[in-house]
Amino acid sequence: MSFSEDRFSDDSRLHLAQIIDNINAGIWEYNINTRVIKWSAGFYSILGYEANEIECSNHIFFDHLLYHQDKAVFLNALNDQSANSAKPIQIRLLTKSSGYHWFESTIKKQYDKNGQIIYGSIININQYKQAELKATRNDQHYGDTIRIAKLGSWEIDAATLNLTLSKQIYDIFELQTEIKLSIEEGVSFFEPPYRPVIQNAINNALEFCQPYDLELLFRTAKNHVIWVRAKGVPIINEYGKCVTIRGILQDIDSNKRKGLSLESSLNLLTDQNRRLQNFAYIVSHNLRSHTGNLQFMVNLYEETELAEDRTEIFSHIKSISSSLNATIEHLNEIVKIQTEITNERSIISFEAIFNNIQLAIKSNIEAFNARIEYDFSQCPQISYIPAYMESILQNLLTNALKYSHPDRQPHIICHTMKERNHIYLIFEDNGIGIDLERYGDKVFGMYKTFHQNPDAKGIGLFITRNQIEALGGTIKIESTVNIGTKFTIKLV
Amino acid sequence: MIIAAPSVNTCIIDNNQIYAYGLKKLLSIKDLCKQVTHFNNGSEAIAHLKDPGNTQNLPDIIFLDIIMPVMDGWEFMKEFEEIKSQLGKKISVYILSSSIDLHDIDRAKNIPSISDYIFKPVDVKQLQEIFKNLQGIARQ
Repeated sequence: MSFSEDRFSDDSRLHLAQIIDNINAGIWEYNINTRVIKWSAGFYSILGYEANEIECSNHIFFDHLLYHQDKAVFLNALNDQSANSAKPIQIRLLTKSSGYHWFESTIKKQYDKNGQIIYGSIININQYKQAELKATRNDQHYGDTIRIAKLGSWEIDAATLNLTLSKQIYDIFELQTEIKLSIEEGVSFFEPPYRPVIQNAINNALEFCQPYDLELLFRTAKNHVIWVRAKGVPIINEYGKCVTIRGILQDIDSNKRKGLSLESSLNLLTDQNRRLQNFAYIVSHNLRSHTGNLQFMVNLYEETELAEDRTEIFSHIKSISSSLNATIEHLNEIVKIQTEITNERSIISFEAIFNNIQLAIKSNIEAFNARIEYDFSQCPQISYIPAYMESILQNLLTNALKYSHPDRQPHIICHTMKERNHIYLIFEDNGIGIDLERYGDKVFGMYKTFHQNPDAKGIGLFITRNQIEALGGTIKIESTVNIGTKFTIKLV
Repeated sequence: MIIAAPSVNTCIIDNNQIYAYGLKKLLSIKDLCKQVTHFNNGSEAIAHLKDPGNTQNLPDIIFLDIIMPVMDGWEFMKEFEEIKSQLGKKISVYILSSSIDLHDIDRAKNIPSISDYIFKPVDVKQLQEIFKNLQGIARQ
């Protein structure tokens, strides 16, 4: 039944009914008392039907047109006593040929002579509803992506220096409430050494429109120290001035730490590889040189007939034999460093060890009339492999004597120092020094000798460096020719 | 058998005393060269070459070791390249080293004034060859 077929008493009502039938919306009416239901022609047409193509009945509406999940929504609205002020409801209705569509329906209640009437108009909101659902899905997707990437976005207004932060930024900051932060307060979350870095980057972006992309250490409100990536891109106006910096802050802690640990493993491997190469170098060069000489002398011995030559050649053969032995001993010492590294460390006193060594090379010290001073008060003890410490101190001490300046009394100063978590050993002399610009890090290489000292073997500092590095330390040298040499050793 | 002219003057630059002694002895036994000067490192040799008093006494051939204290073989070559045009004599330089490191061999190949790279101890036939060629050049 349609509105125009209703029995209207006068023309104006008929006219109204025609208007209703022609607007692009469906009107429905339901009489609670008589249970009679009416649909306008528009009702049929927005569902894709010709007028009266389907039966206008409660049964058709509830069981065929209305989506089963939306029944409750519709019935609640019907039963709602304050329905006159209620918001329109959104329901899905089955169209003739394109499945369920979203519709919005108003619901009004009215009493007339026939009893209580409920009526409303429906319009197709499918396009808007789909767009809305898609937008919600996109928002959800965007939110998830941002969460998975641990990424937050922020913006600085160049004119006011006002900082705006996204919700995710507060998650990275581990701040419970989204309180307003100034740039300075934001910067203060970075670890002290990185604060000037980020502040400069922001300043440069504001002033010179330079973008930045930095990896920095950050301390959250809950005191977690994490690595973050801070990236900022200046947005410029038509005059080329920065009006806004837009950027992201990303928690890259787990990746960065993996990267750093990989880097330190790489350094360790590089160190070990360098030691192995050194080892291979002595085997190939020094042993080869000795055996070559030996072969050479034996051949010469056979070539010559002169007794006097043979005596001299034989004395060389003896000297080669002892050099060969010494080289083998050196090789053995290097192998020992690698095996002793697992030896137990114990608490040792610098003073006790240093005095023991002075005693052991007493005659040597006296021969040079050396003045030796030490001060281990800043750090009297260390947990170290005792044999290493003895070897390190003895090497440095004998080196200082060996390369003392002939024109003055050798003066050797040894002291320890504690800085942050590291223990340093500093060893200074007033000897002949070495030209580091020329020899550089070769000083610690194997069989590298630089002075024409007959005692120089080029093994001492090589062993010393290996012992120090094997326990995770470093050794640095500063030297001035004819003034002296200073070794700074980071032990742990 | 090739007998070297007595004028051939050889220079050994090597900090290894035993090797220098052996080479000297070998050159003498094989009658290749009687006039041999030995320097402990590059620096001593450069000083000798630069000394105006030695202009009549410059070597025809230099046997140069690589690894030496004070001034090594490479450093010697750098200085030698600078002064060789002022020496007024063609001097053949042979690297004589126990290093079989390819890096060293390539480096020597890239220095034009190095004639060849010889491995220690030394092959007598190779030495004879070198001195024979030197004779050939001297006679031209």
